[in-house]
Amino acid sequence: MTVIEIENLRKSYHDRPAVDGLSLRVERGEIFGIAGANGAGKTTVVECAAGLRPYDDGTVRVLGLDPRTDRRRLLQRVGVQLQEAALPDALRVGEAFRMYASLYQHPLDWRALMDEWGLTEKRRVGFASLSGGWKQRLFVALALIGDPEVVFLDELTTALDPLARRSTWDRVRKLRERGVTVVLVTHFLEEAEALCDRVAIIDRGRVVTAGSPQALIAEAGTDSLDSAYLTLTGRGL
Amino acid sequence: MSEFTTFKGLARVASVELLLILRDPMAAFFAVAFPLVLLWVKMHTADPLPGGLPIVAATVPMLSTFVIGLATLVVLPATIAQYRERRILKRLRATPASSVLLLTVQWAAHLLLAVVGTVLLIVVGVVAFDLGAPANTGSVVLAWLLGAMSLGAIGLLLGAVLPSTRGATVIGLTLFFPMVFLSGAMIPRELASPSMRSIGDLLPLAPVVQSLRAGWTGEALSMVHLGVMVAIFVVAGGLAVRLLRG
Ligand SMILES: Nc1ncnc2c1ncn2[C@@H]1O[C@H](COP(=O)(O)OP(=O)(O)OP(=O)(O)O)[C@@H](O)[C@H]1O
Ligand SMILES: [Mg+2]
Repeated sequence: MTVIEIENLRKSYHDRPAVDGLSLRVERGEIFGIAGANGAGKTTVVECAAGLRPYDDGTVRVLGLDPRTDRRRLLQRVGVQLQEAALPDALRVGEAFRMYASLYQHPLDWRALMDEWGLTEKRRVGFASLSGGWKQRLFVALALIGDPEVVFLDELTTALDPLARRSTWDRVRKLRERGVTVVLVTHFLEEAEALCDRVAIIDRGRVVTAGSPQALIAEAGTDSLDSAYLTLTGRGL
Repeated sequence: MSEFTTFKGLARVASVELLLILRDPMAAFFAVAFPLVLLWVKMHTADPLPGGLPIVAATVPMLSTFVIGLATLVVLPATIAQYRERRILKRLRATPASSVLLLTVQWAAHLLLAVVGTVLLIVVGVVAFDLGAPANTGSVVLAWLLGAMSLGAIGLLLGAVLPSTRGATVIGLTLFFPMVFLSGAMIPRELASPSMRSIGDLLPLAPVVQSLRAGWTGEALSMVHLGVMVAIFVVAGGLAVRLLRG
């Protein structure tokens, strides 16, 4: 079953196209990767799909809903970790969990979630005093607090140390076991290879190619997704 | 069912936001402690008022207006601008909560700040300076609420149009301090010069001060003042909601 359907999406900023006729489909229960260079349009696609940015043209359906007209109903069932976001400096971790849980109709048990993401020891720490990696973990956990069917994770592990990265991957795999659909934006192709069922490589606002990491590696005739990416976008040396 | 969840959510957000404001030493000092200092200074330096009105009965309503104005015209716009500038609002918008409701909650939290400041002024007035109960409590409450709603709507509007936290703070203070002096929230109206009074009466703080003082001493509230506060609330609030939704 298709849970995300994007058809011919277009979005320009000041007449410069950031997303230029992009189409993709994500099936229920898969971990779908979006990879591509800085400025390729990944964040724009994700935020248009989550109803957080208006777009110029095209059709977007997430769980059958139109994010432009049904934003609030959609966000009841869709979690988002934004690439750039903040909480008030003085808001403590525990308070953030509790407050965000109260914004949903059927939230998860926020204490259990806080525990699962290793944040209980930080519950009295204010947002401003968290290190970058802890902030990122907090935002990933907050994306899950409404017990979503679909989660968009825009840069899952950029700031995480290797250990935290591995345990985050494990937790994302557990999401898949529970039937949650995950859309993962990443620069880190090892991550896509390790986690994703399918990956779309986008460049200049279009999908260059999409498929399983193994298929992309075979298509490019290289030995890792990293070099496949460089070959497929024509950016190889 | 879902509305109850939303209401519970909004109440939780409002209480957290109030806590956050009180954790900010500047906001807490200027809205809560500073008015008490002003009260103490006034009670030790002010000249007697014509007509034999006890100074404290004029000063507590005046400083309550100061508190409402500071919370809504200075702190509220700065908070909203900061939430936008630092993408705190963006994260909140990635939830099912409506953005207009979230801003209404901000407004409510800042009114709670003003409630805290006002209650402290009254308590200290009663305990330390022999402040008598208001002659008409209903009028005082009505004047306070309408004042907080009208100034709060202006604060929301400022928060909607001012792009940066810095800009919002500077402009909020630039509007607030002259108004406080001209509209009789610092210097009693009856001691101000006629020219000062004629300017001050045109400012949005004036109906708030005058209605609060009237309620406290038992004079009838002026329908013009009440009408002006309602009109400011409707116009500024409507504009703010329209701008903030976008
Ligand atoms: N709010 C904005 N205003 C103007 N231009 C923007 C805005 N957001 C993005 N852009 C531009 O649109 C293009 C795509 O940006 P986007 O953030 O979607 O890329 P991305 O693939 O997520 O990049 P990164 O890997 O660096 O996060 C870039 O050229 C960027 O400069
Ligand atoms: Mg991005």
